[in-house]
Amino acid sequence: MTQQQDRTAALVLEKASVAYGHVPVLEELHGTVHSGEAVALIGPNGAGKSTLIKAVLGLVPTVRGRIEVLGVTPAQARRDVAYVPQADTLDPDFPVSVEQVVMMGRYRKIGWLRRPSATDRALAAEALERVGLSDRARNRFGTLSGGQRQRVLLARAIAAQPRLLLLDEPFNGVDAVSQHALLEAIAQLKQQGAAVVVSTHDLAIAHLACDEVCLLNRHQFGFGPTDEILTPERLRATYGGHALELRGDRVIVTQT
Amino acid sequence: MSWLDSTVHRAMIEAALVGVLGGVVGVFVIARRLPFFTMALTHGTFPGIVIAALLGVDLYLGGGVFGLLVVLAVVVFSRARGQDFTAATGIALSGGFALGVVLVSAQDGFSKDLTAYTVGDVLAVSTSDLVITAGVAVVVLVVMAALGKELLLVAFDRDGASAVGLPTAVLDFALLAIIEVTVVATVPALGAILTVALLVGPAATARLITDRLVLLFPIAVAVGVSCALAGVWVSTQWNIAAGASIALFCGAAFGLAFLASVLRGRLRPAAGVPASPVAVPEEARA
Repeated sequence: MTQQQDRTAALVLEKASVAYGHVPVLEELHGTVHSGEAVALIGPNGAGKSTLIKAVLGLVPTVRGRIEVLGVTPAQARRDVAYVPQADTLDPDFPVSVEQVVMMGRYRKIGWLRRPSATDRALAAEALERVGLSDRARNRFGTLSGGQRQRVLLARAIAAQPRLLLLDEPFNGVDAVSQHALLEAIAQLKQQGAAVVVSTHDLAIAHLACDEVCLLNRHQFGFGPTDEILTPERLRATYGGHALELRGDRVIVTQT
Repeated sequence: MSWLDSTVHRAMIEAALVGVLGGVVGVFVIARRLPFFTMALTHGTFPGIVIAALLGVDLYLGGGVFGLLVVLAVVVFSRARGQDFTAATGIALSGGFALGVVLVSAQDGFSKDLTAYTVGDVLAVSTSDLVITAGVAVVVLVVMAALGKELLLVAFDRDGASAVGLPTAVLDFALLAIIEVTVVATVPALGAILTVALLVGPAATARLITDRLVLLFPIAVAVGVSCALAGVWVSTQWNIAAGASIALFCGAAFGLAFLASVLRGRLRPAAGVPASPVAVPEEARA
């Protein structure tokens, strides 16, 4: 327990409620993610997983309670936070190369009116290496498969050297090779002390990659160690009628 | 007698300048899928020109100020509930042009200026027009070089740009303002209706030739300048409308590049067709 208290809190949710205008999307979220830990956000479509990620980025306001990122407000922490969007939300026809996309991760640190330095180039190349796509550096981003594009976006986040990494459904429609590469890269980031928040509807991946789970559906249905939280009762509560019981102790989620 | 006293020389310089401007700005117009917006701007600046002519003030100033109002209106209206950018753009296009026509129809003896405005007259540009176009070209190129990487990130990944704290609304407005200023500077040469040819054609042609962003700019500029100069030359040789000639060369350049890409088998499925939902194994792609 003392060891746990020694670790730095990367993300603290304190009875936080998040709203778009007057419409509350998420209410009473409570929990802490420490450096070097990964938490899976699990819940059905429309549960507010993406909204929580946007709130941690400071793009959606916290109306009650508090969200603290790396000891400061979300907007103040942006420099040390990296966000990985879903690859299929980006225009595949956009004329940009893989290495240019990865370099975008350095923009914040390069700053206005400056060009990438040799250091920036080296960090971008190293990040691409970590997701195993160095040989595709000069290809157009849109020519890669969905899983490879997702890996490029993770490389972009790695190039930003974040202390907190936020991933929005990175495993959706991703083939086995890319899934493995993504999990490896995420594990490596954790080892280096980054905290990771990943939204997913894949319970197996949550088990595999994450130390903790946050069950979400407008409200929080549990936040804590994966084994404690991913119970049939809690999943049924989170997914309502869309969770089916299987042989007593297991649950199938029919709608994600 | 100065070299610039020649109508044809002035027209050539003006054509080269708008060719450069159209090519460079066009790359972003194509990448962000803004040709329709550009079309709307050319029509939206129309009432400003008419009002400027009625008040006896500079036509560039009138068109420029009115165009900025159109940009603001499109940005504000497209944020309204249930509306999107194209709906607001369509209203700005038709509304702007209609307002111009109403203003013109209320006046007598205005039709000559109107023709020059709608289809342009590059052979009529004065030395002061040249100075304005050159000034606009310098400002646009400097701003685009300075904001290049930020404009690229916002164009490619809006949410990602917001996530790192970039002021996306300001950058959007900056890009739309760059397009607007380019349109206003190009109108005397090509006219309101044909300006869009130079802002879309060369960059779209370049896009058919290369996938690489760094090559898009020089290729688009080369195509833009070539088409503009060829248009002026043909116009002086056979005494036909210069603006229309330039626009036709832009169309021909695109047509040739399109044919070449068909022959090279480089055509992809149309942008509107969603990608196959079946995951393709990485090995098959390599």
